[in-house]
Amino acid sequence: MKFVGIVGTNARHSYNRMLLEFMQRHFADQAEIEILELTDVPMFDESNDQTDSDVIQQFATKIEAADGVIIASPEHNHSIPSALKSIIEWLSFKIHPFDGQAVMIVGASYSVQGSSRAQLHLRQVLDAPGVNASVMPGSEFLLGRAQTAFDDQGNLKVQGTIDFLDSCFAKFQKFAEIVAEMNAPEALSFNPGTYEVTATGHNGELPMRVTLSADRIEDIEIDTSSETKGIADVAFERIPKEIIDGQTLAVDAISGASITSHGVIDGVARAVKEAGANPDELKKRRATKAVAKPKVTEVTTDVVVVGAGGAGLTAAAKVLQAGHQALVLEKFPAVGGNTVRAGGPMNAADPDWQRQFAALPGEKRSLQELTELDEAQIAPEYRADFRTLKQQIKTYLADNADQTGTLFDSTLLHRIQTYLGGKRTDLNGQQIYGQYDLVKELTDNALDSVKWLKSIGVKFDETQVTMPVGAIWRRGHKPMGDLGFAYIQTLKDFVEKQGGTIMTETPVQKLLVTDGQVRGVVATNADHEQVIVHADAVILASGGFAANTKMLQKYNTYWTAIDDDVKTTNSPAMTGDGIRLGTSVGADLVGMGFSQMMPVSDPNTGELFTGLQVPPANFVMVNQQGKRFVNEYGSRDELTQAAIDNGSLFYLIADEAIKKTAYNTSQAKIDQQVADGTLFRANTLAELAEQIKVDPDVLTKTISDYNHYVDAGSDPEFHKTAFDLKVEVAPFYATPRKPATHHTMGGLKIDTGAHVLDHQGQPIDGLYAAGEVAGGIHAGNRLGGNSLSDIFTFGRIAAANALADHETAVTE
Amino acid sequence: MKFVGIVGTNATQSTNRQLLQYMQRHFEQQATIEICEIKDLPAFNEPDDRAAPSTVQQLSDKINVADGVIFATPEYDHSIPAVLKSAIEWLSYTTRPLINKPVMIVGASNGSLGTSRAQAHLRQILEAPELKALVMPNVEYLLGRSLQAFDDQGNLTYPDKVQELDNAFDEFVDFVDLTTKIMPSSQFFEKSKQFSWKQVTGEE
Repeated sequence: MKFVGIVGTNARHSYNRMLLEFMQRHFADQAEIEILELTDVPMFDESNDQTDSDVIQQFATKIEAADGVIIASPEHNHSIPSALKSIIEWLSFKIHPFDGQAVMIVGASYSVQGSSRAQLHLRQVLDAPGVNASVMPGSEFLLGRAQTAFDDQGNLKVQGTIDFLDSCFAKFQKFAEIVAEMNAPEALSFNPGTYEVTATGHNGELPMRVTLSADRIEDIEIDTSSETKGIADVAFERIPKEIIDGQTLAVDAISGASITSHGVIDGVARAVKEAGANPDELKKRRATKAVAKPKVTEVTTDVVVVGAGGAGLTAAAKVLQAGHQALVLEKFPAVGGNTVRAGGPMNAADPDWQRQFAALPGEKRSLQELTELDEAQIAPEYRADFRTLKQQIKTYLADNADQTGTLFDSTLLHRIQTYLGGKRTDLNGQQIYGQYDLVKELTDNALDSVKWLKSIGVKFDETQVTMPVGAIWRRGHKPMGDLGFAYIQTLKDFVEKQGGTIMTETPVQKLLVTDGQVRGVVATNADHEQVIVHADAVILASGGFAANTKMLQKYNTYWTAIDDDVKTTNSPAMTGDGIRLGTSVGADLVGMGFSQMMPVSDPNTGELFTGLQVPPANFVMVNQQGKRFVNEYGSRDELTQAAIDNGSLFYLIADEAIKKTAYNTSQAKIDQQVADGTLFRANTLAELAEQIKVDPDVLTKTISDYNHYVDAGSDPEFHKTAFDLKVEVAPFYATPRKPATHHTMGGLKIDTGAHVLDHQGQPIDGLYAAGEVAGGIHAGNRLGGNSLSDIFTFGRIAAANALADHETAVTE
Repeated sequence: MKFVGIVGTNATQSTNRQLLQYMQRHFEQQATIEICEIKDLPAFNEPDDRAAPSTVQQLSDKINVADGVIFATPEYDHSIPAVLKSAIEWLSYTTRPLINKPVMIVGASNGSLGTSRAQAHLRQILEAPELKALVMPNVEYLLGRSLQAFDDQGNLTYPDKVQELDNAFDEFVDFVDLTTKIMPSSQFFEKSKQFSWKQVTGEE
């Protein structure tokens, strides 16, 4: 057998070293013992990861390869020495070579104690979950008064001591064999067949078929038709592949899709169990990964883009179209960023197209009201546009005075609505609105963005003009296919076909700056290798920070409170990385205090379509006392602030009739959620009240009052402006809801050319930003459908300038 | 009263540091707490001359003049971090400022157990004859779920934990008073302010 012996101290003179050296010689005919020293092991520091250093890698490799480990520990202050504790901390931080390894503890000390207390501590330390060693029980070898124990040749003097060590060592060899057997993968045999199980996905249960032969997992098929495209696709592809390739269930979850990853793994585990085998055996089968030495890869390209969402892929596509090279770095395993979660339609005024549609009742009224708006309320830089718009509207109203008319729109209406929609005042009384030049750039170019998307293959459904939630006006261009994913799929294919490179799982750590000019980035790839990218320009397109609660709380000046456990509707990737990168080279920030919340989100996941998500006319919102607290037809901001004022958590009350108006659900999903306790259902309101822990009398009265208001068509309490159904048909439902973060309006300060500006308002050479990472456009509130216009427009602008600036520089 | 608070980790982000900073402000009427970092101490390595490096000497001097010491420890692998153990080894091997020094142990962890096992180890370590600290008995302050425990101003947001800390700190102040009464300095005499493990055996 082959063992590793660790000298548990860095002292120059050590009786523990002598003890190990004695064991090495004495047991030479039975086993090979390689002695490792702690001398060069750095002090453990979680803030300065040195797992990849030679000394720690050497310990890891040797321990993994050995049949067992013998640790000889002195006792310092009734415990193990810090030097020994330090190596164990390194070997339980990012790597776990002790996991399942047989360990024998011995110890020598000056006193009669013989390290008795240190050995007990060491046992407990080795039992910790990050270490998870298999320590041999019993047979404690304590060498007291070690200074008298050895002769001049370093041999133990007392025969009784040697005999006891012999018996301990014999037992350890046997123990090591048993431990190895315990950890060896058992030969598994399945009852062959195809097993129908379910996997838990992002949006609920997914049917899954697992085909097993007598000794192998042959096939895993997942029906993903009910999942949102783009979010977890990578988990559905990669996890089954890794399970089948490695014939193991010990596969790592994919960041950003961990629920789905575990859902798939657990589903296969159930199939294995149904086939009569023990899934834990498959979880033990670790696909042994060799610890690779860190490598550095250097790449040179023209433009490097940080983030593979809509803005980043657009920028890359534009660079490639101009005949230059582009490299996109994405920290997550899948491309798409937040764009795959977008509802789909993008705003762009296209009057020639919109004119095909008849105006809706109320639209003329809205236009009329706009012309009556006091000009003093319009910021001076927008006034000229506002006057021209008023003329356009007056002409339109006069032309259509005696008929329904067709849908009106113009670039100016889009601009003024973006401006008015973004106007907000924060808690400090600071007013904010969209920066004129940026809003003009956005609205002037949005239609060109639609046209450009069409030119690279995005297909739009031109038979309908839609109004995305919170958009104010019908100018949404809706792609065919799967909402946000439709853009990403086309862009990704285009980028790859044009020879662009997308590196996923490659987070950018810092910007490369030479003489004040940004000339590339440093990133780390999935194999922990450093990737250094040299480029003429860097485009930051890494999204906002709605998934970074600490950062939201730090900058927030708009909401009275943001809970520590606030959830987000966004991808978990949205942690403000680009903002950090930008500010690290002196970029200025704008509008950081303003963020958007989705008031009616799942309190556990931030998801929108769980429980009974119904049209707002059917919302009946009650707080944790069972009372209504707001006009449920109010704006997102009004609902959010009211919820925050009521302790964030509230319930949507519904009945059987309202249930039928819910989006994106099915009876099966509803039953499952009731069973899981994430949705409440009862035959009477009183029982429902008990389930959600509110006073039954209060809830019953709240609902009976509400029903009266529906009958009367008016709500004297909260002035709800639109009603539909009453709450009266059992069973009754309560859907728990909480506001979740949705969009961050603030970000890097840019100019109309997407150049990132420093605190003096000067462009930072070589640095560009597009999409949610940049601020100044949407100001206090972003219109629904404008984020897509923003990413595709500024993504194109950033690329064009990154190339143009560089070409000028070369000519000069 | 004047206390020294020792941050038991070298990590840049530490809720144990936050806990001490909170205690420093929260108890400023009752005591001055000077927060000491151990991240810049060298790793312990028995020096031939038994001399404390200057950073260890500085820490030791602060402990010497303090009325008591508060250790805030994380838990790594069911025990205290190596870096804290190293600092204690320096003190035990060179200047021994903890002899008869009243000590309060607190700890914060992101899990729910709040460093219970590390604290038990630390208690045993501080009671070793090389250290002879007077660790306050009976009181154990464990702060679990510490990543969510502090708001932006660094205030502890769990009301029950604030109350518990108030009680623990009151007891510690009483404990310090009491120990000065029962421990006249003349009564206890250490052979040597310098210690070695060999000494235990009477070899020197």
